[in-house]
Amino acid sequence: MGSGIAAQIANAGVPVLLLDKGDIAKAALERLGKAEPAPLMSRSAAKLIEAGNIEDDLAKLGGVDWIIEAVAERPDIKQELYRKIEPSRKPGSILSSNTSTLPLKMLMAGMPTSIQRDFCITHFFNPPRYMRLMEIVGGPETKPEAMAAITAFADEKLGKVVVKAKDTPGFIANRIGVFWIQAAVNAARNLDLTVDEADAVMGKPIGAPKTGVFGLMDIVGLDLQPHVDASLRMALSKDDAYQSLPSDFPLLTKMITDGYTGRKGKGGFYHLNTAGGKKLKESISLKTGEYAASTPSKLESVDAAKAGLRALVTHKDRGGQFAWAVLSKMLAYAASLVPEIADTAVDVDLAMKAGFNWKHGPFEMIDRLGAGWFAERLASEGVAVPPLLALAAAKGGFYKPTHEGIVQLDADGSYKPITRQSGTLLLSDIKRLATPLARNGSASVWDVGDGVACVEFHSKMNTLDPDSLTMLMQALEIARRGMKALVIHNEGENFSVGANIGLALFAANIGLWPTLDQLIAQGQAVMKALKYAPFPVVGAPSGMALGGGCEVLLHCAAVQAHAETYVGLVETGVGIVPGWGGCKEMLIRHSPGPRDPKGPMPGVMAAFEQISLAKVSKSAAEAKEMKYLRRSDGITMNRDRLLADAKALALKLVAEGYKPPAPIELHLPGPTARAALGLAIDGFARQGLALPHDVVVAGHLADVLSGGATDIVDAVSEDQICDLEKGAFMSLIRTLPTLARMEVMLSTGKPLRN
Amino acid sequence: MNHAVIVGYVRSPFHFATKGALARTRADDLAAAVVKGVVSKSGIDPNDLEDLLLGCAFPEGEQGLNVARLVSFMAGLPQAAGAATINRFCGSSMQAIHSAAGAIAMGAGDAFVCAGVESMSRVPMMGFNPMPNPALIEQMPAAYVSMGITAENVAKKYAIARKAQEEFAVASHAKAARARQQGKFADEIIAMPMGAEDGCIRADASMQALASLKPAFDQAGVVTAGTSSPLTDGAAACLVVSEKYAKDHKLPILARIKSVAVAGCSPEMMGIGPVAATRKALRRAGLKIGDIDIIELNEAFASQAIACARDLELDMNKVNLDGGALALGHPLGATGARITGKAASLLKREGKQFALATQCIGGGQGIATILEAVS
Repeated sequence: MGSGIAAQIANAGVPVLLLDKGDIAKAALERLGKAEPAPLMSRSAAKLIEAGNIEDDLAKLGGVDWIIEAVAERPDIKQELYRKIEPSRKPGSILSSNTSTLPLKMLMAGMPTSIQRDFCITHFFNPPRYMRLMEIVGGPETKPEAMAAITAFADEKLGKVVVKAKDTPGFIANRIGVFWIQAAVNAARNLDLTVDEADAVMGKPIGAPKTGVFGLMDIVGLDLQPHVDASLRMALSKDDAYQSLPSDFPLLTKMITDGYTGRKGKGGFYHLNTAGGKKLKESISLKTGEYAASTPSKLESVDAAKAGLRALVTHKDRGGQFAWAVLSKMLAYAASLVPEIADTAVDVDLAMKAGFNWKHGPFEMIDRLGAGWFAERLASEGVAVPPLLALAAAKGGFYKPTHEGIVQLDADGSYKPITRQSGTLLLSDIKRLATPLARNGSASVWDVGDGVACVEFHSKMNTLDPDSLTMLMQALEIARRGMKALVIHNEGENFSVGANIGLALFAANIGLWPTLDQLIAQGQAVMKALKYAPFPVVGAPSGMALGGGCEVLLHCAAVQAHAETYVGLVETGVGIVPGWGGCKEMLIRHSPGPRDPKGPMPGVMAAFEQISLAKVSKSAAEAKEMKYLRRSDGITMNRDRLLADAKALALKLVAEGYKPPAPIELHLPGPTARAALGLAIDGFARQGLALPHDVVVAGHLADVLSGGATDIVDAVSEDQICDLEKGAFMSLIRTLPTLARMEVMLSTGKPLRN
Repeated sequence: MNHAVIVGYVRSPFHFATKGALARTRADDLAAAVVKGVVSKSGIDPNDLEDLLLGCAFPEGEQGLNVARLVSFMAGLPQAAGAATINRFCGSSMQAIHSAAGAIAMGAGDAFVCAGVESMSRVPMMGFNPMPNPALIEQMPAAYVSMGITAENVAKKYAIARKAQEEFAVASHAKAARARQQGKFADEIIAMPMGAEDGCIRADASMQALASLKPAFDQAGVVTAGTSSPLTDGAAACLVVSEKYAKDHKLPILARIKSVAVAGCSPEMMGIGPVAATRKALRRAGLKIGDIDIIELNEAFASQAIACARDLELDMNKVNLDGGALALGHPLGATGARITGKAASLLKREGKQFALATQCIGGGQGIATILEAVS
């Protein structure tokens, strides 16, 4: 895990020294480049990591500000290491342990005060690039400045949700998460649920990832479970509710012994049966231990959950009983642990959301059930109601919206404001208190303060349709009439997965060609208006920005992207070409710079390769390398800071006296380039790399990127390339293989190869 | 008629393009090293040089402008000597030798450096700006046919099975590996800052490894990366002088240029080009193929090399004694000087009478040179 943490620090652009015994660190560094999901965001990040070994390189610690220890979970080993590095450490540098099970007081027992003052626990979650939680635990001697420095660095540079935890076993997330898993495993066995059924309930319906609990154990590793269980049982007091959960599970023991340790082993509760050349997902029977085909659950309660959490836990079927059995125990347990493990309920909720990817934390879940209702039902079943829950039941919940934002219940019975880290600005916070400046079914415009307007997409998966385009145009008008700048941002999982191809398919199926023509024309007009607005338009994406979503960004004056942004023009996958100026912008962006080979072809070929292969960046840093983002565009590591950073960038552009760009004229080789690209397409077809409809689509793309019937001595305007884009789109949308690609994409989410 | 003789041959180590040890070396630096090397090794007075003729198949970028002139400066040749860049694609530096021989024959100079270079790392095949004529493509698509497809076409027409190609490739690697092990490249390779060792030879090339490769150019085809010469960085140079000059100055003669020829063929069958060119050259020399003792037949692809060998009825024991381009690599502009210089030095080393160097050329041509020993 040490190498994963090092990678995330390098992703932030900060140099890291990775030390281990012998050549271990060197080998780990080599593995980083190949691991999936990728721990590194770019090739340049890898260069910031220097591998070394404890034997020879301790002196290098003299130049280091923060030392993170991630060695074996044994206090004697850790303490020996602390003593060993102490003489080499820079005075005042911070030392932290990535322990997940050992308390700080044990690690610091007998340690000199000089170490104790600089020491804390920083508990990362695996994999460190993708799991946002970092729990931080300070000791009685820890300097407050050290805690503040690490908190700020982890938040701003590493993009972490930093939660202050108390020095108690399992800290926050694992204390509750392990309880949840244990309770769920027991309840599934008691209520006779299959693995598939249990995960169908304990996943999306409660707001957890679809892996539920058994799928989660497969990812984490089954062999870890007994260790975690034993260490928690040993560390927790005799009367802790966790001690009452049985952990005797013979099937688990047998699976571990037989090497079924999860995804890293031969499989786990699920595995892929590859016999006969096919991949068949199978799940294990909790009764017989035999694998059989994994079947989707038919539990009614899973459907009922769409009406809310209470509908799920009150459902009469086994799924509903299971949900109640698990959630009632877990939520009551969580309510009993504040302030023992964390200062506030909101800290617990943050930790569970960031550490286990839950949509709602336990206290938010209680509010969704109704605190009063929940407390009453617990009482009616003879279960003790924790005092904090009783208080919430009496007061009407843990959280309440007010004019000043959301407030949370304090132990003294009053509601106190939730303080966000400075520099964070959440659109959801703004939305709770304001009404939109404009709104339709697909997008809204908000005033995010300081003269900046914000367009928010909120259609399904943030696909772009005529309503989204209309709202962009309206936002430009609103901004023009009295604001300084416009930001395009939303808090959806994805910025936008592209144009709504369902609409395009529908129109094509009934031959509404003018509608399709209009869809392209409207998109092109909106993109042009974004690009040439007299004030800066700043894109602030996170997650996927594909197709039309990418085209929006390409037309912004600047982009402030979340580090986890995945950008690409993927239109060819559904049998079309970018039609809202994407081809045009990539031609401009790939125009040779001072260091590139000169001449008319390199830019055309680079754009052709990127768009025809529908290449998507695996990070914002890579999007820069691929020129979807400009070198000057900003990257924000912490998603909660994205809107604030984008706003600041927009205002900076205003302060610098923003002027829209001058229209660009390109010199393209026309039929000559088309002939050269045609040769390349023929070659790919012969090699079997391009299928028959790929050849057709790539041919139309080549028509656009070569500049049409132009000649190298003639200038081609942006509008002319847009016309070519439209022509190519209108031709392709009339072909059956393109419509087939769209249909398959809509029904399966996967591209059709035809 | 003044006869031309070859009195010197050197080359750089050859390395895989992009991933090899010469990827960071400019083509002009590479060429300057071999030009300087062949001049100093032969002991010729540089002031007697008439011209530097430098072959290059994609003369642009760092190997652009009149790169020959720039290389002459870098190699420290006298400014009074001339320099011309010559392009006949893969036949470029063999053409340089032919041009020198022609000039010597008509008394237009006594001493020529005939070199060739290609950095396939730094200037891509097809160049940075491939701009084919749309009308010609329409009328004659084969004018721009890719080399891999020509290798498939030849394999099909001459029924060269994949296995036969792979056996040929394994043999080429084995011969080259053995020659390297026995130090037989030591006197021809000019050390570069990265070393003097070739980078493309695979001593462990095996039938099993080659059989596992996928077709590289046509999914239904029989030509793989293993039976194609690799993209290569490298340079080679020969010193070509009149026989009289060589004797007057006591330069060590490797071979006399007996006859030369070029011949065209259909572009989609370019690999068979050496057959017509060789027949012409033999006729001009008044020789039969059986008279030839040493043969350097360029291995652009195993399929075309085998097809040429069969058509010309070559004795395979005489062909590519120290391995061919499948193993050594094929830096396009440099190959002609390499195989002609190699044939000349083999003639000397093996103590034989006649040698042939021949190669195919993209676009549909062949080129051939016949050499004879000078007693």
